Amino acid sequence: MERLAGGEMTVGEATGDFGVSKPAISKHLKLLEEAGAITRVIDGRTHRLRLREQPLDEAYAWMSAQHELWERKFDAVKEYLREQRENQQLHQAQEQPRRPPKESK
Amino acid sequence: MSDATGTADAVMTSETSLRVERSFDASPEEVFDAWTNPEVLRRWWAVHPDGTTPVAEVDLRVGGRYRLTMENPDGERHTVGGEYREVQRPSRLVYSWQWELDSGEPGDISTVTVEFVGHKDHTDVVLEHTGLPDSDSRDRHAQGWAACMDIFRARGFSAAA
Repeated sequence: MERLAGGEMTVGEATGDFGVSKPAISKHLKLLEEAGAITRVIDGRTHRLRLREQPLDEAYAWMSAQHELWERKFDAVKEYLREQRENQQLHQAQEQPRRPPKESK
Repeated sequence: MSDATGTADAVMTSETSLRVERSFDASPEEVFDAWTNPEVLRRWWAVHPDGTTPVAEVDLRVGGRYRLTMENPDGERHTVGGEYREVQRPSRLVYSWQWELDSGEPGDISTVTVEFVGHKDHTDVVLEHTGLPDSDSRDRHAQGWAACMDIFRARGFSAAA
């Protein structure tokens, strides 16, 4: 991926001297293609690879948005629990002389 | 967010799943009930600072549904909904997650699993959101998310957070 950042390359140029078997490279490239990270242009016998910046950024932004939603949810739960606790303490302080008959937990 | 119990951690476990953990200074029952409380959902879901949550419906039983609609001051609405698949108070909750698209058609269905693990003086909550749309279906179903992301940007959330 780093190599492709410099621009379009053939498969050989992009993957040469990795010291990894050809099937392993093919598998990795296929995964990257499926993830939308790279595109492959077949020109006769030459396969050219190009980095697609858009989908990865988009995927990242997407996951970040969903992540933010969950963080907000955790925050909302936490705030609510704190309020509940404060209310409970306030109630207990007010009703100190007579124990409330049933303590809703 | 300033007290000591606010430890949070999130990991993007793959392109289509997400894991978020946090520890709460309360019992599993309290956290579970808060998690599914419509009032909490209403507060959470009004993402825009001046937004409201006109719809916050919860039918907490297996096969029951929930539905949440946020409305921005300009009237723009975004709705998510789903079905409760496992309801094991206070330890585990599994539900589906589905945006309603502007076109009215339902978006992709993903799955949210929440585990509540009780300890002596706190509860650890582990949320896993799996089966999120991959790149292809994101392209097809991007609109609900795009709108949602606009809201985050408006609130000053950074994508790199």
